[in-house]
Amino acid sequence: MSTAAVQQGTKWWSGGRSPFNASYGKVMMWYFLMSDAFTFGAFLISYGTIRFSQNHWVDPNHVFNSFPFAGHTNLPLAFVSLMTFILIASSVTMVLAVHEGHKMNKAGVEKYMLWTILGGLCFLGCQAWEWTHLLTGQHEVLVNGQLEYWNTTVAHNPFGPEVMFNGKEVATPGPIAFGSYFFEITGFHGFHVFSGIIINIIMYLKTKMSHFEQRGHYEMIEKAGLYWHFVDLVWVFVFLCFYLI
Amino acid sequence: MSNVLELQESDVHHGHEAHHEHHHHETFITKYVFSQDHKMIAKQFLITGMIWAIIGGLFSVLFRLQLGYPESTFPWLEDLLGHWAKGGKILPEFYYALVTMHGTILVFFVLTAGLSGTFANFLIPLQIGARDMASPLLNMLSYWFFFLASIIMFSSLFVQTGPASGGWTIYPPLSALGDASSGSKIGMDLWLTSMAMFIVSSLLGGLNYISTILNLRTKGMSMTRMPLTIWALFFTAVLGVLSFPVLLSGAILLLFDRNLGTSFFLSDIYVNGKILPNEGGSAILFQHLFWFLGHPEVYIILLPAMGMSSEIISVNSRKPIFGYMAMVGSLFAIAILAFLVWAHHMFVTGLNPFLGSFFVLLTLLIAVPSAIKVFNWLTTLWRANIRFTPGMLFAIGFVSLFISGGLTGIFLGNSALDIHLHDTYFVVAHFHIVMGVASFFGMFAGVYHWFPKMYGRYLNNTLAYIHFWITIIGAYLIFWPMHYEGLAGMPRRYYDFSGWESFKMFGGLNEFISVVAMIVFAAQLLFVLNFFHSIFKGRKVTTANPWGANTLEWTTPIRPGHGNWVGEIPEVYRGAYDYGKDGREFIPQTEPVGENESHH
Amino acid sequence: MSASFSSQEITFHPEHEDSTKPIWRTFWILSILTVIELSIGLVIYNIHKGENPNATLVLAFKGMVCILTLAKAYYIVSVFMHLGSEVRNLIMTIVVPLCLFVWFIAAFLWDGNSWKNLRNRYNRINETPTEQVAPAAKEKGAKD
Repeated sequence: MSTAAVQQGTKWWSGGRSPFNASYGKVMMWYFLMSDAFTFGAFLISYGTIRFSQNHWVDPNHVFNSFPFAGHTNLPLAFVSLMTFILIASSVTMVLAVHEGHKMNKAGVEKYMLWTILGGLCFLGCQAWEWTHLLTGQHEVLVNGQLEYWNTTVAHNPFGPEVMFNGKEVATPGPIAFGSYFFEITGFHGFHVFSGIIINIIMYLKTKMSHFEQRGHYEMIEKAGLYWHFVDLVWVFVFLCFYLI
Repeated sequence: MSNVLELQESDVHHGHEAHHEHHHHETFITKYVFSQDHKMIAKQFLITGMIWAIIGGLFSVLFRLQLGYPESTFPWLEDLLGHWAKGGKILPEFYYALVTMHGTILVFFVLTAGLSGTFANFLIPLQIGARDMASPLLNMLSYWFFFLASIIMFSSLFVQTGPASGGWTIYPPLSALGDASSGSKIGMDLWLTSMAMFIVSSLLGGLNYISTILNLRTKGMSMTRMPLTIWALFFTAVLGVLSFPVLLSGAILLLFDRNLGTSFFLSDIYVNGKILPNEGGSAILFQHLFWFLGHPEVYIILLPAMGMSSEIISVNSRKPIFGYMAMVGSLFAIAILAFLVWAHHMFVTGLNPFLGSFFVLLTLLIAVPSAIKVFNWLTTLWRANIRFTPGMLFAIGFVSLFISGGLTGIFLGNSALDIHLHDTYFVVAHFHIVMGVASFFGMFAGVYHWFPKMYGRYLNNTLAYIHFWITIIGAYLIFWPMHYEGLAGMPRRYYDFSGWESFKMFGGLNEFISVVAMIVFAAQLLFVLNFFHSIFKGRKVTTANPWGANTLEWTTPIRPGHGNWVGEIPEVYRGAYDYGKDGREFIPQTEPVGENESHH
Repeated sequence: MSASFSSQEITFHPEHEDSTKPIWRTFWILSILTVIELSIGLVIYNIHKGENPNATLVLAFKGMVCILTLAKAYYIVSVFMHLGSEVRNLIMTIVVPLCLFVWFIAAFLWDGNSWKNLRNRYNRINETPTEQVAPAAKEKGAKD
């Protein structure tokens, strides 16, 4: 392997070159993502800390069990699986766009960028539906000895521990932090998806206008790709923390 | 002096012609306002930082007035502050606002942005041999985000209900509930918004510093040949990039708690006998998030001062820095440990004592690299032919303060002792000496040392010596007595101690501290006067390398243009500390290694 | 100006593979891992529905999901973000700082757990009649 030989023989740290064989832009993007990982990390760790400090937590299978147009059928985890697959698929089309960029194939980059943008929009649409569902869906809950119907917001949720009331099991108010953290973290992630879509649209237009072709490389697509994959990566952990465990 | 480039000011214009990519018509706006030249951005950071330092220092004078003379009234205060000082006496609410803003301004706006913003921007490209930062545009944006943050923070001083007043650590629930105090209203929102802008600025700056240091070193400038300043600024940038986002998270959650009814940090709160609906959050969680930034922040402030002092001490001792690799290693160790010790600020919050013992261990470990550094500074000074330039005096002052303040840190790092000392004046004395004044000394040292490079003129030495002696004596006179007050249990952040029998005996001492504080503040104005006077009227620098230093910034023209070097960037053949080698006073990094040269 | 810099920074241009095979292979690996995660999620769901949920078993399954998630993260970062084929220096400067998360997570969760214990021991105010909690809730309390 010739590249391996180059790597072996090069004094990477001696100055006059990048020790990573990467342009400063790419290095900056990587460190920006590291920094952003700490932002998300802090959110998710705060969520975990609060969850560990509670005697009772919401069972995700009770909360996320519906699917568009499926009525009241109990389908735990089905919809979020769809969202996950959409995001993974859009990640794949993003890599393919980068791949086409290496081959200097303008038409290929355009095609896959469009697919990626579409995937991102689909994901945001799904998230909008899920939020709407949580915010409007009414559930029976026992509050101060009376049955009420509650939706799920940042300030309350009806998914608390179940007690016997008039001979049937009813839920009591659940931990407030659940809704707070769910909306806050998925919202922040959604904001990242949104900005990723904006970046991708700009990259698509720049490709269309042959900016990268004139520059002789498609590194900008690569950098946008890093950001997009990072958004996917964060979702993997959001998926773990909110839906699976 | 034969190897010094004797370049005159006229060469600057050559510099422009040699680099066509920089040569465009410069208007006042592009040269002084929206400049992308790292040197101009550094000056912008420095001057903005100085303005903030004056404001923050003035605040400390005002609250020291209250602490020193709790029973007197000063009618002129009412003229100055209006309803905040009714009858010539500062109101308690305003006292807390002053303390809060003093901390915020000094920690973030002066010693973070003003210190590493100035010297990282100024020194990184010059000392590693680069024409500019990796991305001059983002660098410029970094300053303007800082400017935006400054504007927002400054405007919060003038809102009707006053600026944030929950302490610079803005602990909830005081900061989360708008009704908690007058400073928890719009002032708090402005504080959080300003800080979000500040974090963006520090992120843009930090990413630039890291990628510039890694990617744009000139040929031969390997990592182990970099001056210690650059190493320190590198670790500072890494600390900033990895820890500020955690404060951002905390600030976002706090904004949500304030405005959207969430319960991240709120639980079981009674207001006027009624319980709030918030439940399940934890105020301590905010402290964890805050100090996850807060502790690295201490080193973000301290490391640049360490790096600059190392460089200045070596240059003016005319000796190589003792233990270069140990210096780098200890910087690295401090940077790593900085991330692992945050909860030592929280021993008395009800932290699990077993968990706390881990934090004690990690905290006390910091003493090891710190001691290595102190040892190396002292051994560098040992039997040296010291030139007592103002920069050198401040660098030695830094070492002195670092030792005095660092030792009390070992007391505070023990959780058992901290139960007694927490939130007393002992803590105030500790962190003011070790991170406040010490970093200021590093900053002054840097300004005195690199002012000739910044403006092509010297600062006035007489004023500089007066400034140094008043400041170092004053700093010890202010903060040394505070240790005794703290050991006696005198709590910090109190408005008035005259009501306590046990603290009455400190009335005279408090008055003394206040008087000295005012004198020291006045001495800083001398520095400001010296600074601005010397920019225009100072003695002109006539040689390119006035201190006889080895590093690359002195191979540029006296007043380098955008692009720094005329013609090619010089190549580097040796480390930055070849002083007093083979009978020569100094050997610049650009000089190739001779055949018969000895090895240190 | 930047263009002249970047040409200097890059020492060699790695040859890029022509085939998209590794990409699709990773896609299938990620999909299969996700499917396994989902099935574990459903297993946990069914254990909770049962009469006497086994806390240790649920914990073990949750641990498995965490490991699978880390595997997914590895594939995304290594293949999709090309980190696996970058120079070793870059890999190390990304991976090593992430180790800070170990203590970040451990200390936070430890303290969170400690708050729960403190509350349960000292907080008599919130003793509401929620004693007859459903089995699922009981299990939660025991596990966390």
